[in-house]
Amino acid sequence: MASYGAALPTVARSILAPCRLPFRQMPMMPMVPAFTGFQQSRGMKNKAKDKGKGKGKATKADRRGAKDFQQKDLKDMQQFALCDAMRYIRAVEVGREPASTKYEVHIRLKSRKDGPVIRNMIRFPHAVQTESRICVICAPGSKQAKDALAAGAVLVGRTILPAMNKAGLGRILGPRGLMPNTKNGTVTEDVANRVQMLRGGTIYRERDAVIRLPIGQLGFSPEQLRDNLRTTIEQVKKDAAGLNDQINKQIYEIVLSSTHGPGFSLNGEFKSENSPRLLCLDWRVKYHCFF
Amino acid sequence: MVNLFKRMRKLSTTLNVRTGLGAALFPTPKTATKEFPAVTRLHLTYAKRIEDGHRGARHFWRQCLPRLKYHNPGVGITVRQTDDQAGPAALTIYFSERLSSTAAAIAGANQVVDKHAPAPVEGEKAAVVNVKNLEFNEIWNRVQASTGAQELKPSAEDEAERKRLEAIAARAVGDRERIARIQQAKKDQERMLAEARGEVEKLKSM
Repeated sequence: MASYGAALPTVARSILAPCRLPFRQMPMMPMVPAFTGFQQSRGMKNKAKDKGKGKGKATKADRRGAKDFQQKDLKDMQQFALCDAMRYIRAVEVGREPASTKYEVHIRLKSRKDGPVIRNMIRFPHAVQTESRICVICAPGSKQAKDALAAGAVLVGRTILPAMNKAGLGRILGPRGLMPNTKNGTVTEDVANRVQMLRGGTIYRERDAVIRLPIGQLGFSPEQLRDNLRTTIEQVKKDAAGLNDQINKQIYEIVLSSTHGPGFSLNGEFKSENSPRLLCLDWRVKYHCFF
Repeated sequence: MVNLFKRMRKLSTTLNVRTGLGAALFPTPKTATKEFPAVTRLHLTYAKRIEDGHRGARHFWRQCLPRLKYHNPGVGITVRQTDDQAGPAALTIYFSERLSSTAAAIAGANQVVDKHAPAPVEGEKAAVVNVKNLEFNEIWNRVQASTGAQELKPSAEDEAERKRLEAIAARAVGDRERIARIQQAKKDQERMLAEARGEVEKLKSM
């Protein structure tokens, strides 16, 4: 009884209170000790049996705070299909530059407060950042140089380095993490792969049990965004599985947002009955289309 | 992450995107009439700061364009902010095939050239409406008159939602006053106590 009452909000408990009264006075002998036991456990130091259930004095664990990040019940949260969320976001972001305005995703995780965090890099099927240009320093005409150019590097060669030193660019680029560095994996044999990764790659990490990262430009079609979202979720799941046997991280909620827009909790559907035709949500379609 | 209830309240502002001034359907090829051909695109150009009559254009962008975009997701809408305060504030409406007669009349009455507006492609005709020194609702009136946009009535649920939010906002006024009174009383009490303590000190030192 006590534990049941404690789980309810205060209002509900006060409503229930009159119903509870007759039970206490029930003359059923075998039941009485059990109830008195519960009654006493309220407000007193709890026995090991109902630790953390009653509203009694805070135990040691309570004082340290919850071990897990708080997860609210999502049943009241309005959730959207991907296309519906996109329709709202495109309306809010109307008139903005389609290449520089980004869709963002916030992945909430069920996670403990201590313990490792997810941190990784992802390469999307449809590149989000278009502005990163990559310079590769290697012998001109070598296999690496060809690979790098094929993978989309802007500058390839060896003469760049002295010129860069002369201009003092190292001081500017270094703190921003733009200089070659073994730690970042930017001093490498496998140039082509790395260039590709850097061009379409995004670094993400978990902070307070949420992973936030841009997953698309405003100009993307719903299919493109879906592909990117799917890739992200799959990789996050893989990351969570690869952490440790004892760590259990799960995806709890996925929120689609944008540079200026509000966050829309996604329900996992691609489109709903009221969604507009897909072409309408595609920026690249120059001509109008209607639903 | 942000508190769930805060997020839910923030999402209730989507009501503002669905309803309000500018919640209207442009004529599509299916619904186009002799008088009003289908609308294909819109382009708005105005200067960054509000002086010299650019205020209404910006407000039109913030107020009406999201609603138009929500209800007409297929109509491309672009906005260009310039640094040229003396330059035009102009709304270009692109029709398919031909201009509506009202659009021609409205655009023709006050000629303006917008060099930032994209050129109409084949099968499009553009009407440039001068929106300088116009308030945003006035701009909307012109847009509606020249395109024949059908205003949408808010649905029953939206109406109920609006009433709910209004009731909350009205209650908030009273609540704010009540809390302000409580805070003021607390401050007064503290001040009185401090003054009394000061008197005691004075008496002691005498």
